[in-house]
Formats: sequence, structure tokens, C-alpha cells
Amino acid sequence: MNFFAVLLKESINSATPILLAALGGAFTYYANVFNIAMEGMMLTGAYFGVIGSYFFGSWAIGLLFAIISSIILSTLFSFFAVYLHSDEFVTGIAINMLALGGTTYLLRSTFHVKGAFISSKIISIPSWKIPFLDHIPLLGKVISGYSAIVYIGFLLAIIVDIVIFHTSFGLRLRATGEEEVATRSLGINPLTVKFISAVLSGLFCGIAGAFLSLGYINLFSENMSNGRGWISLTIIILVKARPLGILLLSLLFGFFGALGVMLQNSSIPPQFTSMAPYIATLFALYVYSKQKRKGSL
Amino acid sequence: MRGIYKIYPPEVLALENVDWSLKKGEVHSIVGENGAGKSTLMKILSGLIKPSSGKIFIKDCHVIFSAPYQAMKMGIGMVHQEFMLIPSFKVYENVILGSEKDLSKFGGLLDKRKAKSIIKSLSEAYGFEIDINAAASDISVAAQQKVEILKQMFRKVEIVIMDEPTAVLTPQEIEELFGRLRKLKEMGKTIVFISHKLDEVLEISDRITVMRKGKKVDTILNKDITKNVLANMMVGRDVIFRVNKPFKTPGKAVLEVDNITVNSIKRKTLGPVRFNVYEGEILGLAGIEGNGQFELVEALIGAMALSSGKISVKGIDVTNIAIRDRRKYIGFVSEDRKYTGLALKGSIKENLIMTHHIKNEMHNLPFTINWNKGEIFAQRLIKDFSIVCRSISEQCISLSGGNQQKVVVAREFTLNTPFLLLDQPARGLDVGTIEFIHKKILDMREHGIAILLISADLDELFNLSDRLMVMREGKITGILDPSETTKEDLGAYMLGVKENV
Repeated sequence: MNFFAVLLKESINSATPILLAALGGAFTYYANVFNIAMEGMMLTGAYFGVIGSYFFGSWAIGLLFAIISSIILSTLFSFFAVYLHSDEFVTGIAINMLALGGTTYLLRSTFHVKGAFISSKIISIPSWKIPFLDHIPLLGKVISGYSAIVYIGFLLAIIVDIVIFHTSFGLRLRATGEEEVATRSLGINPLTVKFISAVLSGLFCGIAGAFLSLGYINLFSENMSNGRGWISLTIIILVKARPLGILLLSLLFGFFGALGVMLQNSSIPPQFTSMAPYIATLFALYVYSKQKRKGSL
Repeated sequence: MRGIYKIYPPEVLALENVDWSLKKGEVHSIVGENGAGKSTLMKILSGLIKPSSGKIFIKDCHVIFSAPYQAMKMGIGMVHQEFMLIPSFKVYENVILGSEKDLSKFGGLLDKRKAKSIIKSLSEAYGFEIDINAAASDISVAAQQKVEILKQMFRKVEIVIMDEPTAVLTPQEIEELFGRLRKLKEMGKTIVFISHKLDEVLEISDRITVMRKGKKVDTILNKDITKNVLANMMVGRDVIFRVNKPFKTPGKAVLEVDNITVNSIKRKTLGPVRFNVYEGEILGLAGIEGNGQFELVEALIGAMALSSGKISVKGIDVTNIAIRDRRKYIGFVSEDRKYTGLALKGSIKENLIMTHHIKNEMHNLPFTINWNKGEIFAQRLIKDFSIVCRSISEQCISLSGGNQQKVVVAREFTLNTPFLLLDQPARGLDVGTIEFIHKKILDMREHGIAILLISADLDELFNLSDRLMVMREGKITGILDPSETTKEDLGAYMLGVKENV
């Protein structure tokens, strides 16, 4: 496979967890819950995905574990941030730190390893080969043969768009985020809506986490989410959480991430190449603010 | 509703043993001063707040509401004073929100086409001319009110409670609203109309309930009743609608506005405008909203830069001096007491001494405030302006509208400025407070202060002004003598039919 085909494939792979987490965060964005805990939920999902897969020998149970653990964390987040009205930012930071410290501790106490846990007993999520398309030279390699979650992620972007803009729940979600008092006056409980949005973000982050440890690669390492939750947050804010915009920007960030990895083989020092996605973030923020300024005049 | 009490802890009695009834198909008004309990009573009926005791019966059935949707199921809906709309949502989305479940297919997917057609036919049936695809934030206040009424109609409400619906409308829009309310009545709906504007109440109602200090004074049929009797019931004493003001010969020019203009990016929004306000004179400024009054106010207080011209007070050129320095010459009551006039979360004390705190007598050391002196000062203002509050450190946000306005007026009227700019000083207040504020304005006139009074209330302008000035499209189109002018005549100037400058 030539360089570009690999680059494209890697881009899509590294875009997927960002895409999933950002789609989850879109729900909380529209409900006006400032959710920065995607990072922690993803990491927790990644860890428990490995646990489920390793101990039960099934990727499905791994995925289930990932989703449940991440939802539990999001419930904890919404209990504090939504019901107790604690500061969302502080709560989110606490959740992220809890996830980082907690998974690191559990990794060491359960498997007695430091850094990363690799085992052949971790069953990964199967990859799908699309019939017919798979046999087309070059193109087949680029669009076929990904982990199932990649395809699901793309599909979810469309589904989330429909849910938010064309369903009864979406209407209530956006109304709650915009005018809580008015929504309450119409017999809708804003707390319930916000809670559901947080759970949904947990669900999506759980899938993202499972993809990290069971799809993309087959191991768990400390802090393996590595800032992806934050990049998701950036994307959400940049595109005002439009699901299709999230899809597009995730691919862009995935591309820079993959570029960073691939350039490690070149003569550029790896410390610089791994900066690529973050430099891209700053650049995107620059372009965005410029445009916003133009728009306001 | 029988024996309704509402107590706000620790000891505020908002409603005391209120019995009240509503007949099918009537327009029933509830009048009372701010804080009389009219809105509280209706919020109980619409399920928004729970009564401390008492029972509600509908068609002899005892009902208990713990949330608005339960009242809505029984056919009771309320149009709140502050509209409950989602700004970015389209009109039809706002209408269906909360009751959109019936319009869904395949488990939650909205049938937007069906929703639009239902709302469209509903809006036509009631004669509302409204674009159902416009965003709520893009339409006028009057149109937003139509959306609120549509919301109730969509929910098949039988009883519509309107909380101060005319407060936000222009006179023409009020007429249109009354037309719509009459139409609703013809269609068999029952309407509760909360207001403190007596003329409106007398025009629209079948029955009138008067409330005072949390108690029901009486419910009366709207015939053979005069405005004065009603006002007396409301306030508990006689109210003088006609202000007696002694004749005064105006003195020297205090405020001199010399051909000022303000240009925005697109066009010239103000001017050139030239006028003087004299010592001991109230100059009333009339005009339909949006004809340059806003720009004139901003220019005078220094919030907007002039493109040309000069403003001086007592011969001192203030055109280019900072707002803080200008406040030595210009006192200002803003039309928007909640955002411009007050720091709502600040205490009454803090709000009262703002600007006064710059004066030397408020300091011990530079950059510090002598709070003891501040407290004495604030206490004096509370007494002089009869501001009703629980304590001097209470937040302004918890005061009634009338008392909030009194805080602003107290602060600005004691600045000892030679000129006062009053922008809608009595808007949205009850008769008692209006009477009080008008008296204070006349006191200031007695003391030789020059006053520019901007108002949308023509009665207020005619009662107080020594001269009337009309603005249209950023220019002065008329100077009139209120004693020789009729309201209709003034209206003709405001609409641009007549000009005399």
C-alpha cells in the first residue's frame, strides 16, 4: 500500500474516537450542559472494555462493559452538575482526574503492570470487509476492512443529526438548552432532559473508549485517551455541535493525527510531529474567530 | 377558588383568604397595584405555584395542580408577562413544543409538514397574520405575543390568563390585541386580563376584581363604574389623575443642544437636532418609538459619540467629557431600570449611593467609601422616597417594579444636577407609584431643575410638560403648547401628518 492510502486509512481510524465522543458531547452541548468530562469517560470506557474482553473472552462483553462504565461516570457527572448544580467545569475536571487516577490504579492492581497491559486474551472488535468493494484495488483498501465501530460511527453522525433536528426529543433538548424557564412552563422537566443528554454522552464516549482499546489497537495503556476528549470539545464548540460538521472536522483532526504518526518515520523529531493535531486545533480556532468577527460586522 | 392563602416564608403574606370565581365566556379583569397579589393568584390557578392553603374548583370538581401542564389539561393556560419562547425556534416549533408528541411518527420523528399545516390553519382561524416559519427572535413583541396566544389555542385551552399583556405594546397594537380578545370571547373562550391600566380594564372587561395588599376588595360588574371609583378601590384613597402644577415662568437655558447629529454605519439616525431646556421647565418629548429617541438619550448621556454638534449644560461644554464627569451635570432615569438603572444583584444601599460615592463627603481616604455615611445617606433616601423594603441590604432584584424605580429616581434626583433626563420614568408602574413619581418630578421643577421627559404615555406628557416637542425620523418636527393641543393633534405630529418646524 502506498503512503497516501495508509495515511487515509490512519486518518479515518484516528478520527473515529474523536467523532464518537464529539457526537456524544453534542447532546450535552444542546442541553446547555458544559460537559468537559468526555476525556475521562472515554478513558474509563477503554479500560473496562479491556476488562470485559479479557475476562469474558468476548469483544461484545468488552463493549458492553465500556458503555456501562462510561454511563456510570456520566451519571455521576450529571448528579453533581445537573441535580446538585455544582460548577460544571470543576465537576468535569474532577471526573477526568478520577478517571485517569482510577484507571491507572486499577491497571496496576489488577494486572500488576505499569504503563500498558497487552495480552492475547484481549479479544478485539472484528473488522468488516465490505463485500465487492473490498476487491477493488486500492479503493477497497481505503474504504473496507475497518473495525465495525468505524462504520457505526459514521452512521451515528447521520442518526444524531436526525435525532437533534427532526425528533420530538431533539426539539425538547434544544429548547431546554436555550430557555430553561420557558421549557419548564410547557410541562417539560429540564433536569430530566439534561440528565438524558449526559447519559447519551456517556454512551457515545463508552463506544469511543472501546474503539481505542479493542478496535484501533488491542491493549490498554495509562492515559490512552491522550487528549482526544479535549479535541472533541474543541470540535463541538467550533461547529456549534452540528453533527455533520463534527464528522467533517473529526476527519480533519484525524488526518493531522495520522500525519503526526506517519511523519515519525521521517527525519522530523517525533516531539514535533506529535504536536500536529494541537497546532491544527490552534489554527482552527484562529480561522474560526476570524470568521466570527467578520460575521458580526 | 376558595379561601386561597399564599405565604412566602418567613412572613410575607402574598394572598390572604381570597375567594374568586370565573364564569364561562366572560372577560374578567383583575386590577391592583404592584404587589397586590393579582399575578400570584393567577399563577396558582395556572399551576405554576402552589397555594399555602385553599381549594380550586372547576365545574364543582375539586382540582389540585402541582405543575402547569396539569392546569393545561383542565383547559387553563397562561400568557406570561415575560414571554416563554425559545428565541432560535421557529414560530411553529414554539407553538408545538411540549405538546409535539401527537405530531410524531415512527417513534419520535416529527411530522413537520403536518405541524406547520395545523398551526397555519389555527393561525388563520383566529385571524393572526403571522409567519409561522420565522424565528421567534426575529419577530416583533406584538407578534411574539400572538405566538403565545397561539400556543394556548393549540393546547385547546378554554381559559386564557393574560398577565399584563398591554405593558409591552404600542397603542395601536393594544387595539389589535383587544380585537383578538373579543374574537376569542366570541368563540366561547374565557379570558382573564391582569392589568393596572384602568382605561384598558374598563374598555375590555365584563367583570372586574380589585385586589389590594393580597386581599380581594371586590368583584364588580363593569357598568356604571368610573375610573375614579375603581382607582379609589385599588389604592384605598382618592387618586388625582389631573396633576395641578403652578404656573412658572421659565428661566435661563440650562441644556443647550446645538445641531447635534449621530450617524450609524448605514445612515444618519439622529439630527440635526437643536433645542434648549430652560430652568424650571419640563420639556416633554413625544414620538413613536424608534424615531431617534434612543440615539438622543445615548448622545446626551455620553454613551454614543456625536458626529457633529455641541451639547452644553449651564454654559459648560459637555460634548466630549467622560460619562462620569457628565454625571455632575446630568441626572438620568433610564427607561430600563433592570439593566441600565440598577445593579439588580447589588443591595439597595449600594444602588442608592452609586455616583454619590464619588463625592468627597463619602470618603475617609482616597479610593475608599465611608460606609457609615453611605448608610445614613441611603436611609434618608428610603424615607424621603418611601421605598418599601425589608432591609437596606436587600438585593434590588427582590423589590417590586415600583420600588426599584423609586430607588433609581431617589438616586438621580438627589445628585443636585441642573438637568434631569427622564426616559419613560413611569412605564409599567401602578397608579400609586406613578402619582408619587410625578409629584417628585414637579418638585424638581419647583426647584428650578431643567427636565427633559421622554414618554410613550400621552397623558403623562400632557399632565407634566410645559412644552411638547415631537421627534420623527431623528428630527424635531414640532414644538407644541400642551394647553392648546389635543391628543389627536399630537398624534398627527407623531405620525408625520403635520409639522411646524
